[in-house]
Amino acid sequence: MSTLTHNEAPPYTAVLEVKNLSVELMTDNGVFKAVDNVSFSIGRGETVTIIGESGSGKSTTAMALLQLLPRDLAVLSGAVRIKGKDVLSDHQTIKKFRGRGLALIPQDPMTALSPVLSIGSQLREAIKITGKVKGKEAIHAKAMELLGQVRIPLVEEQLKKFPHQLSGGMLQRVLIAIALASEPELLVADEPTSALDVTVQAGILDLMLEIQETRGTAILMITHDIGVARLVSDTIHVMQRGRFVESGDARQVVEEPSEEYTRKLLAAVPRLGDWDESMPVEESHV
Amino acid sequence: MLTYLPKRLGQGLLTVFLTVSVVFLLIRLAPGDPAAAFAGPLATSEELAAVREQFGLDAPIFQQYLIFIGQLFTGNLGTSYSFQAPAMTVVMERLPYTLTLATSSILLAALVAIPLGMWMARRADTGGEVGVNVLTVAGQSMPDFWTGIMLLTAFSVVLPIFPASGFTTWGGLVLPTITVAILQVALISRMVRREMVNNFNSPYLTIARSRGVSERLLTWRYALGNAGIPVFTALGTRFAAMLNGVVVVEVVFGWPGVGSLIVRALETRDYPLIQATVLITALLAVAVQLLIDLAYPLLDPRVRLGKAASV
Repeated sequence: MSTLTHNEAPPYTAVLEVKNLSVELMTDNGVFKAVDNVSFSIGRGETVTIIGESGSGKSTTAMALLQLLPRDLAVLSGAVRIKGKDVLSDHQTIKKFRGRGLALIPQDPMTALSPVLSIGSQLREAIKITGKVKGKEAIHAKAMELLGQVRIPLVEEQLKKFPHQLSGGMLQRVLIAIALASEPELLVADEPTSALDVTVQAGILDLMLEIQETRGTAILMITHDIGVARLVSDTIHVMQRGRFVESGDARQVVEEPSEEYTRKLLAAVPRLGDWDESMPVEESHV
Repeated sequence: MLTYLPKRLGQGLLTVFLTVSVVFLLIRLAPGDPAAAFAGPLATSEELAAVREQFGLDAPIFQQYLIFIGQLFTGNLGTSYSFQAPAMTVVMERLPYTLTLATSSILLAALVAIPLGMWMARRADTGGEVGVNVLTVAGQSMPDFWTGIMLLTAFSVVLPIFPASGFTTWGGLVLPTITVAILQVALISRMVRREMVNNFNSPYLTIARSRGVSERLLTWRYALGNAGIPVFTALGTRFAAMLNGVVVVEVVFGWPGVGSLIVRALETRDYPLIQATVLITALLAVAVQLLIDLAYPLLDPRVRLGKAASV
């Protein structure tokens, strides 16, 4: 396992710092260690990706550091600091960041909004939570501005709509607008494109990178898609069975993987090209 | 909407028509002779024949049925044998009592069951909650005649707070209402609990929490906003069922409603009265069900707006 290059850089201030994070989940079949002694950090304007298969513990890591796992079913240990503040030892601390500098882009936009509340009311609520915009008119104007920023057409009409009336891609834009309302310094994106059509995936990633560029947002990207990882990341951590098996610079991990598991993960990506009958079919239980 | 309403009205009327037709046939197939019940055990066969002729029961069943259909269109269902008054009038006089009892019961049930269910959902699987949950199972298992008699013994006999029978003062409403509501509270509160727990565990709630929505808003605006829809439907359906007369409770408390009326009508084989009661309660049940269906789109935007074309 290679060490992270930025650990040696002295002026580096981490937006997110995770040290020896472990998550034990209480299941019907006993205690299951979903995340095992994981450490990483993300600086301003940086994108760190955790890549792994389903069940590798990557989403659990994200949910754990956001304190979104049910407290009676998940036991967390280690340290998680957001902008230097420990959010693990006191579960009230995270509430100061939620919706104010910290935002989550969920995996499935279709189930991420309340079906009985309009897009507008859920967006306006997120704006109110920041406490920075006051008054009905100003909040409405801000909502329109945010939807414009995520390039949703016919803003005024969309605000009145309900989640079931929008496509997955549009809903993910709405959720990014909601995230944007919090003026995010740390954006946790939990497989933000995996539930979307291939044709809209790139647009969503572009939008996130654009936010990063203009705001200097730190992004934690959770994905199983090596293509996504290569496109957006500065640093990649490869996760298997709750552990980081390989960590390093994005280009290096993708092009010169040092671990057998990473090589298998890379090989599992379907490539467009001539059909090679002689190629052995790799089983996905790498 | 323009085709929906006439279609639903048609379905409702068909339901009512089939219900009254089946009841018409069944009461005539059941043992017991209205003429014998009316004329008494000492009546001679000539007297019985005279009564049958007077009631129109000497005609073939099919002919009686045609006459009955004609009556349905005029709204006059004949003269009650035992009351010697128009059957419809007798039913309509009793209806306000059943409406009062059903309304007060459903309101009490909703006022208790919804907060109770929310409390249980919030503390799901803790010691106190399990205890309350066991109590609701007990509440559901107690037969209403038994609950009624226990309440009567406690609060009318031992502690004479409420009248034991009838509806002469508003106090008379208290014990029957509680008796009817206990079962509903037991059922509805557990439904509220289940729906709330499902919504607490849903992705949209976790994601709303992640963007800083307060726990109070998560409970009321998000979880209850979604859980409320099936609960509203259940309350409406229960209310419709109560309008058919809360038979046992009405008999226990001597409540002058439709439920005790139908018992009397059945005992005396009072065909016109049975048919009038069934017609009115079936119409009411269908009407309430239709109102629930019409209210549904107001609560659920997915029903109101349908699946619109996405942008």
